[in-house]
Amino acid sequence: MPERERKKSGTNLLYSMMAEAASYDDAVILGRGDPDFDTPEHIIAAAKEAMVQHHSDTAPPEGLPALREAIAARVERVSGVAYDPATEVVVTNGGQEALFLMVLTLIGPGDEMVVPEPNYNTYLDSTRFAGGRQIEVDTFPHQNFRADPADVRRAVNERTKALLLVSPNNPAASVISPQDMRDLAQIACDHDLFIISDEIYDLFVYDDVVHTSAAAMPGARERTLTLNALSKAYSMTGWRVGWVTGPAPLMERLRELKAAITGATSIISQYAGIAALTGPQEPVQMFADTYVRRRRVVLDALDEMGIEYGVPEGGQFIFADIGFTGLDSMQFAQRVLSEQHVLVYPGSAFSEARKQYIRMTFLQPEGTLREGMERMKFAMEGIRADIGNGSAR
Amino acid sequence: MPPDSVAALLQRHRVNENLNAAVIPAAARNTLDLAADAVVGPLDERIIEATGAALDAGHTHYEPVPGIDGLRATLAQHLNEATGAQYEAANLLVTAGMQESRFLTLQLIDAGDGAIALPEVVHPGARKALGARPRETVSLVVDAERRLPRLAAIRAALEGGSRLLYIESPSRLSGATLDGDEMAAIAALLADHDAGAIIDRGLAPWASGSVAAPTARVALIGEAFPGAGIDSWLAGYIAVPQDWLPPIQSQKQIMAICTATPAQFGALEAGSLYAEEQPARLAHMQALRAGLQQRARAAGLDVLAGGAAGLLALRLSPSQKSEGLARLAAAGYQVADGSDFGAPDVLRLTVCDAARAALDLLADA
Ligand SMILES: Cc1ncc(COP(=O)(O)O)c(C=O)c1O
Repeated sequence: MPERERKKSGTNLLYSMMAEAASYDDAVILGRGDPDFDTPEHIIAAAKEAMVQHHSDTAPPEGLPALREAIAARVERVSGVAYDPATEVVVTNGGQEALFLMVLTLIGPGDEMVVPEPNYNTYLDSTRFAGGRQIEVDTFPHQNFRADPADVRRAVNERTKALLLVSPNNPAASVISPQDMRDLAQIACDHDLFIISDEIYDLFVYDDVVHTSAAAMPGARERTLTLNALSKAYSMTGWRVGWVTGPAPLMERLRELKAAITGATSIISQYAGIAALTGPQEPVQMFADTYVRRRRVVLDALDEMGIEYGVPEGGQFIFADIGFTGLDSMQFAQRVLSEQHVLVYPGSAFSEARKQYIRMTFLQPEGTLREGMERMKFAMEGIRADIGNGSAR
Repeated sequence: MPPDSVAALLQRHRVNENLNAAVIPAAARNTLDLAADAVVGPLDERIIEATGAALDAGHTHYEPVPGIDGLRATLAQHLNEATGAQYEAANLLVTAGMQESRFLTLQLIDAGDGAIALPEVVHPGARKALGARPRETVSLVVDAERRLPRLAAIRAALEGGSRLLYIESPSRLSGATLDGDEMAAIAALLADHDAGAIIDRGLAPWASGSVAAPTARVALIGEAFPGAGIDSWLAGYIAVPQDWLPPIQSQKQIMAICTATPAQFGALEAGSLYAEEQPARLAHMQALRAGLQQRARAAGLDVLAGGAAGLLALRLSPSQKSEGLARLAAAGYQVADGSDFGAPDVLRLTVCDAARAALDLLADA
């Protein structure tokens, strides 16, 4: 007896496109946010060591103390916020479980969360699971998808329980500025709201943009749950190690929920996580430097194609407007996939309102990206020709 | 002063009794930890090699949501051999361990308009999973000897409108299993009432003979290859009719994306060695358990009817139990308290050498 009515989610749509892309030998995959780099060798070595030395260690649901300590140190170093590893850090199965736990902790039936749109679609799925609703605040490419605090303030009502801040953002690639972050935190304080802060891309910011942590803002720490994960920063998407930090009273409830939904996190992954956070950090810097160059390759190509986008200030995505083609994002993505074997994600998978956008990653070697861009230009020529004779669809 | 919103939120969670159910460790690691339902066995080097090779080969990225194909197929084959089912890989979803299996099935399988029927004695993880997003439950009365739900109780629950049962066989508290006739009767009741069941058979590899389990209208859940030494790596499974899978898989995507690759590749290798290695482990554990049972009975302790070789459950009077727990605690032993399962008169010990000394402490209580 499956849940009887469940419409095909955006996520399922993406999986069917990924399957199609996988069927082409020469596919250029600019879809999923999965860095092409394999996990650095010293982390794999630590995992192998853990298989020998610690294969039967058990951990409490909140994670190994040594990992929580490493996480607290990392958060303090990067975000400037101190957390007690004993009571204010919970290790999770990747950022995804962290996200789900944050929503489940803070949002109950009938509660509302204010969400700048577009945003990472799992927040909507998780909010629905919890019986809550999202109130969306529109953002625009010509403002690099900035969430205007004045718009956010207007969206708050008596049912609002939380603000969602994903910075750097997926898919919009916007980064909340220090001043906006201060203003957004002030809104949370004024209306006694919780903040859900997703900082999974915090190490990837471009063009002198700086990352700001919501919990570091005045009055915010006691009302903010923050997630991060090793997935993107260390190319560890398959290992499933993430975490939530927050004030002890909220984290106590989040820990109970962690115990309720999965219990502890895989021991081998946790030891790998300790190695990632306490070992050499050069690979992370290398990834970040590489993304700077790759991002340029894609942006230059989009400029040549005359495709408008919000300048990606951070993260690993570009959200581009293909509305002028007359195609909706699904048609566009399907066309470049079947004609040119280039996988980009349709904006409609993120929200109905973003039907004229596509999301692209730059998580491929520069040569592959150039090849993908050449093919996209080719597809665009065809599409422009179709526009010319009125048959783009 | 915490914000008012924090106080209101804490109140909402505090009244949720299920969410506040106990957390029992999954696998015992050291000699004083006797609270788990089995010890973690030694790890075969081939598992380390295979997992390391998979990581070296670049399996450090996202894998498919329902699990890597090879592991799904291996789990299907293992279940088919153990239960006579006809699962294919497409019936299987790999989980990040038993608790995720409980959560995904208890939260996502449609229970119609009725309450979910839960044995009054059940692993606290089942209650916890239900507490994460409260779902209505009714309680199934259990028998005194095995602590397994009575057929009459199951029938009454179905007649009362329940459309989803949760059953453990072997019981996570006593280790006792429902026999083939009982399972057949349950299957017939499910068919009569257009109802479904979640059957936790995670301890079945620790019971001798086959542990019956119907598969139509049923989700089978459990740990992947318990005893192979990878318990803490956390891989589990859900086996369901294919049309039950989509909502479960969607939710797995929402809360996990996929299961950790080291755990999956470790389980894959463990699965390929299982038929070769588990029988000897089982025989060893059964002999150990038989010795402990004899020792307990000789000392006048009342051992519950069991079957799973990893655990031993004792029935104690209230004074025996409280004094016994105090003695165990003083000596540094930790055991599972039946109160957490809904059986306040029971203590459960992990079967291992160290359990002898613990039994002696209880016998003196
Ligand atoms: C904004 C955001 N949060 C959380 C996640 C989850 O990441 P993971 O579970 O792989 O750590 C993602 C993944 O793409 C993401 O983009």
